Amino acid sequence: MIQIKDLKKQYRSGETVVQALRGVDLEIQNGEFLSIAGPSGSGKTTLLNLIGCLDIADEGSIHIDSVNIAEKSRKELALLRREKIGFVFQSFNLIPVLTAYENASFPLSLLGVTEKELHERTVKIMQEVGLEEMMHRKPAELSGGQQQRVAIARALIKSPDIVLADEPTANLDSETGQDILDLMEVLNAKHNTTFVFSTHDQMVMDFAHRLVRLHDGLIHSDEITQRAAGGTKVGSRG
Amino acid sequence: MKFLVNLAFKNLFRHKRRTMITSIAIAVGLALFILIDSMLVGIEEDSTRNLMLYETGSARIMNTQFWEEHENLPLKHSIDKPQPILEELDAAGIDAAPRTIFRGELIMQKDPYPESGSIQAQITAIDPQRDPQVYLIDESISDGRFLEEDRLEAVVGAWLAEDIGAQVGYPLTIVTRTKEGFFQTIDLEIVGLANTPNPVVNRTGIFIPIKTADYYLQMEGSVSQIDTSFAYQADIEEQTSKIRSVALSNRPDLTVVDWNILGKDFVALAASKSAGSKVILFLVFIIAAVGISNTMLMSVYERIREIGMLRALGMRRHEIRLAFLIEAGGIGLIGASAGVLIGVLLNIPLVNIGVDYSALMRDADMGYRVTGIMRGLWSTATIFTAFFTGVFLSVLMAFIPTRKALKLQITDALRYQ
Repeated sequence: MIQIKDLKKQYRSGETVVQALRGVDLEIQNGEFLSIAGPSGSGKTTLLNLIGCLDIADEGSIHIDSVNIAEKSRKELALLRREKIGFVFQSFNLIPVLTAYENASFPLSLLGVTEKELHERTVKIMQEVGLEEMMHRKPAELSGGQQQRVAIARALIKSPDIVLADEPTANLDSETGQDILDLMEVLNAKHNTTFVFSTHDQMVMDFAHRLVRLHDGLIHSDEITQRAAGGTKVGSRG
Repeated sequence: MKFLVNLAFKNLFRHKRRTMITSIAIAVGLALFILIDSMLVGIEEDSTRNLMLYETGSARIMNTQFWEEHENLPLKHSIDKPQPILEELDAAGIDAAPRTIFRGELIMQKDPYPESGSIQAQITAIDPQRDPQVYLIDESISDGRFLEEDRLEAVVGAWLAEDIGAQVGYPLTIVTRTKEGFFQTIDLEIVGLANTPNPVVNRTGIFIPIKTADYYLQMEGSVSQIDTSFAYQADIEEQTSKIRSVALSNRPDLTVVDWNILGKDFVALAASKSAGSKVILFLVFIIAAVGISNTMLMSVYERIREIGMLRALGMRRHEIRLAFLIEAGGIGLIGASAGVLIGVLLNIPLVNIGVDYSALMRDADMGYRVTGIMRGLWSTATIFTAFFTGVFLSVLMAFIPTRKALKLQITDALRYQ
């Protein structure tokens, strides 16, 4: 479970101070499929970065499974990310010289699993994202959608507790984007991994089971969507 | 670790052309290093040998006062009764030859010389029988013959003869002073021209029989020096001590000076040239280092987002740094291997055939005692130094940009354009 309390973060851009988050309170249960939505500059990427231990909050706290991440050292945060958090980036961020297989398997290499286990788990995850036939292609030989599937495989291969996806469909056409969201939803259900993704795209919002809207660094609304209830919007949590 | 090596290796060929250009820069730098070093060491080695075999011998016995005033060549401070010393040296198995060096004016009259005139010169009186024990002048006669004892004849350096227009059979008049300082004129005939591998001898050498000099300079059996020869690689200190104990134990008026001091102009010159050459080599390395630095700088900066992603996924800074350093080491390895290979291949003809600098050495006094063909010398230490320096330099050059890129916040790295 992720518990966020009174989270504040500001950035300095020259003389200007930007209040990215002004006091966010949020609780995310294990296995949720949650979208953080909002216009550009609303603070959704900042919130994802803080949850993903990529940045440090100015005020407030984030507890992941009751562990206050503010009390962790840089090394401990790196190990936390390595073991418990998967990332999917807007521009895929695959390593161009590695094959799809190598890109997907690399987080396992960091965990020091055996060659046999690495191979078995990589083949399995590549099958799950539907790329078993293209495992040995390099990113340049794959379409945008296929590259994002590899990125999802990379995020999920270590069986993380949380997958954070920053606008995962922004660089894809709507049909491919929908495929990716379908895949993420299936994997969320199958692995019970918490998915938190940011977006400003209505189609993506419609896919979320819980939709948290941010505006000017504050939560504007927090609601369980119709999709979570099998088509019926069940109401607000805020 | 396997992943890091795999990643580094694949990144090495990410931009094949760039890797190749950088490797070539390293290879050229290292090949030049090997060749220049080979040449310098070779020239120095040959020069030292030629200095000892044609100019200074290995060590010289002199009257202490003669040595103190050796700039003036004061014959009054010569070695009296050299014979017992020579016998003691012979008995101890040390090759030795007496010589008398003095200054004089060479007088040349038109016909047979092309022009009348005179030049100041330093004349070396040698013992035609004993001198070949120490020097190889007798083996370097390019025209005419070597000296014979007690004759009014001279052997002249080939370049000096060319400069004054002398040939074998020409008369040579020397105006000088005797041991006591009286003017004396010696009329000689040039019987041979010496063309040695030592340019100083070729340019200035005038040799006459020591008995002739003894008579005309009124030396009364004394000589200005006794030159000795010992093995090229022998310990100088040990050998000079041996000479002292064998021949000079009851001659406190005499001293022994080794070739390092006698040829100090060359030793100093070699040292300064070596320092100058090291500057050139340093510049060669700087050029290679700039090439590597540029490649690694581009390589690191175009991958800052990738670095951000790797860190986001839990890779530690030192692991990423290691991957980049392995990559740089790989470029260094390719460049260094090629450089050593090229350097070694080019050094084979340099060592076996050499480069002919005759024209240059004839007219320019570069200080080295080499007249024509300069040969390189193999140095395993240099080859290893070049190889490891190439690899180390590459790794070092990658360290700085990698360190800078890793200092960025992960979020800044992920946003980096």
